[in-house]
Amino acid sequence: MYDLMASALRTSKADYTEIRIEERESSRAVFRGPLLETADLSIDRGGIVRCLVRGGGWGVATFNSLDDLPLRVQQAYEGARAIEGDSIELATVPISVDEVPARLERDFRGVALSDKVALAKGYNEVMRSYDPSIVDTQAVYADSFSRVYFMNSEGTRLMEERPMCTVSLSATARKDGLVQQAFEAVSRAAGYEVALGHEELAGTVARRAVALLSARPVKGGRYAIVCNPKLAGVFCHEAFGHLSEADFVYSNPQAQEMMVLGRRFGRDILNIADDGSVPGLRGSHRYDDEGTPTGKHYLIREGILVGRLHSRETAAKMGEAPTGNARAVSYRYPPIVRMTNTYIEGGQTPVADLFHEVELGIYACDFYGGQTALENFSFTSAYAYMIRNGELAEMVRDVSLAGNLFRTLENTDAIGDDFRWIEAGACGKGGQGGLPVSLGAPHIRIQDVVVGGE
Amino acid sequence: MHPQASEADVLEMVPPEAEQAELFEMESEATSIRFEASRLKAYEVSQSEGLALRLVAEGRLGFAAVSDVSAKGRLVQNAVESARYGEAVPIRFPSPQPAQAVRVCDERLADLPSARLVEMGRQAVQSLQEAEPEGQVDVHLERRVRRTSVVNSAGTAVVRRSTVLSISVEMQRVRQDDVLMIGDYYSTAMWDEQYPAMLARLAQKVRLARELASLPSGRMPVLFAPAGAVVLLLPLSQGLNGKNVYRGTSPIGNRVGEQLLDAKFTLLDDPTLDGRPGSAAYDDEGVARRRRALIEQGVLKGFIYDLKTAALAGTEPTGNGERSLFAPPAPEFSNLVVAPGEAPLADILAGVDEGLLVEDALGLGQGNAISGAFSHPLSLAFKIEHGEIVGRVKDVSIAGNVYDELKHIAALSREREWVYGGMYLPYVLLPELNVVSKSG
Repeated sequence: MYDLMASALRTSKADYTEIRIEERESSRAVFRGPLLETADLSIDRGGIVRCLVRGGGWGVATFNSLDDLPLRVQQAYEGARAIEGDSIELATVPISVDEVPARLERDFRGVALSDKVALAKGYNEVMRSYDPSIVDTQAVYADSFSRVYFMNSEGTRLMEERPMCTVSLSATARKDGLVQQAFEAVSRAAGYEVALGHEELAGTVARRAVALLSARPVKGGRYAIVCNPKLAGVFCHEAFGHLSEADFVYSNPQAQEMMVLGRRFGRDILNIADDGSVPGLRGSHRYDDEGTPTGKHYLIREGILVGRLHSRETAAKMGEAPTGNARAVSYRYPPIVRMTNTYIEGGQTPVADLFHEVELGIYACDFYGGQTALENFSFTSAYAYMIRNGELAEMVRDVSLAGNLFRTLENTDAIGDDFRWIEAGACGKGGQGGLPVSLGAPHIRIQDVVVGGE
Repeated sequence: MHPQASEADVLEMVPPEAEQAELFEMESEATSIRFEASRLKAYEVSQSEGLALRLVAEGRLGFAAVSDVSAKGRLVQNAVESARYGEAVPIRFPSPQPAQAVRVCDERLADLPSARLVEMGRQAVQSLQEAEPEGQVDVHLERRVRRTSVVNSAGTAVVRRSTVLSISVEMQRVRQDDVLMIGDYYSTAMWDEQYPAMLARLAQKVRLARELASLPSGRMPVLFAPAGAVVLLLPLSQGLNGKNVYRGTSPIGNRVGEQLLDAKFTLLDDPTLDGRPGSAAYDDEGVARRRRALIEQGVLKGFIYDLKTAALAGTEPTGNGERSLFAPPAPEFSNLVVAPGEAPLADILAGVDEGLLVEDALGLGQGNAISGAFSHPLSLAFKIEHGEIVGRVKDVSIAGNVYDELKHIAALSREREWVYGGMYLPYVLLPELNVVSKSG
């Protein structure tokens, strides 16, 4: 493969050229309701050439056929010349020559499809048999094993294996006109072991969907909120993380004003980082899709904005160091600035104390949906409970939290000591959906949040 | 045209325990050009190819796909493994059947030079900027040439070559807290000298949007422009999809033959229209497509099915099986066509004393559309006063349920427009709909 890529690179007339080729084998088993919707196997292989020409821009050619790579290089070069660009520079990164094989405890490529079907079926049955009010379920087993080759005209030459194994479960319960859903997923860049032993989780999904049928809609107002780690992690990713992506900051004057390094975003207890180098997490790779090594980068340290996420292009534009955050969902796309594993670091407060000090509040769990617009956000939690006099009370539904990012981070007055990774997450941006990411957070408490409701 | 040698090879490699086999082959080349904020920002060429194999062995259906066309041995092996544990489905791959020819390939599009695409994009940017000098214009053009073939063990061998040109134009103008977003999408399978008409229509909307008007909340006549009428068509299309009927989630699954909607309303699935990207003589499973009424004068006539869904539901396939490479076929509409009314748009407009004209909505395809319910903030809408469009209204949303609202249609226009590539719709006037306005 390297020879094929190297000889095509040599034909390029561009100032910078890179070729990325990906081979991916995947399998999945999908149950929907009582039916096996599909159990199939795929082999996907393709590549992308990106060329940069001074005074032009990025030209791109993508392909499945490896028969004529020099033609793809020529197409990308012609595209690069057609573009009316500002002059694009790339920040310097070390030239790397490396191979990163995956080490799997139990390689899912050696597991029969029948076992995967049986596994998904087992989880599906747990949900279906829980209660007659469960009217629909979905149980998905999916794995993929990618081998990504990367070479550029500067001399970097890499091969990295990227495995992924996922189980996702959802249940829909209905009583009269009311429909409620619950969802859980487990996913890691690891072997078949990730998918095993989730019968209890399947039970939890079904139980929650049914329990939500009897929960009352929350009464709107201002509350102290304790967010569970998943909701806190999603909040950190959606409401803050995307603002830290340098391509956004660079292209948006309002964002530039907002995201000045050194600005205070929260109290001293708040630390937020992105780390693409944690082994086994969904967002982890040794190298990003421009060949830049990944690593841990603080975005907020002791409440102060200290960094942001870069590709080589944005790092050069803003005069900052590249961070290894240029990622692409597949060979069909050029890399753009993306998060990897983004998290709020664990704090000092024992979790029980987060609740004890709340007279009337809400324990908001998981994420159902939401949107953000610069510093404003609105999120709906998947399920929630009232907190009364420091104790967990009845379940409530339809809890949507709306607010301003800065005020919300300022009002985050306690951070739990129970940090954990949320091993599922997919992020969409710029037409590239489904990029694997992980989230992380402990329980956190936020004072004075506007909660919509009846 | 004959299927390529590779296809015959693969079917010969299928082991004898498979009673039926079907090979789908796809290849395509596309050139895509994007103008952002009025400048040419991206230029991309993409080539795709691949093979997908379905097998039925001991009554069980298996599926596998590869984009590495040299991996034929693995493809067969994977499809056999998939069928071994697959679902038991009484599916029958079709034998050769006659179909009506339709034109979906034009060498003028296939040979269109990239420089011409760039020129067309620039023209779009200019025409919008003339209408609104402060606007930021994004334009995306794509030209695609696609070849697919379906070959099966029942003797069917269908090859299709098609061309598509698509242009999407969006303009955004921010003035203090007023954000105006206007866009349109055009696509064709044959070169069409009339394509700049789309730009003229868009420029006309931009001019109309200059004036602001306020509207009270309440029930009032609402006129849906063809692009706005998609609000009504989307929930309906979900209810008419055989997959939802089979699952039991369609609210109209057991109501064939009933007077469901206003007698003015006729809806067709029409794959026989020349020059439309949604048209084809055969579907992606080799079943002949045909023009079918789904709703005729308000009466529900039927649903759309692919082979598998039809087999499960115990009914006939309708030629609506569509697929991408890595997913098995699923029922999809070809072109959704609403029959026109008799009144010219001008007369319909003239008859509205105070009402709303809906051009574009946010959140299409979200929410619980299958139930028929819709609830959308409007991204582009106008106030109608004494039969005239008097200005753009902001912060307005509409809500209802299509199965209730379409029981009474005041008028459908004689004029129709293609929207979102695959829908051909008139203006639809509802006598009364719930409108919530923050300004009024």
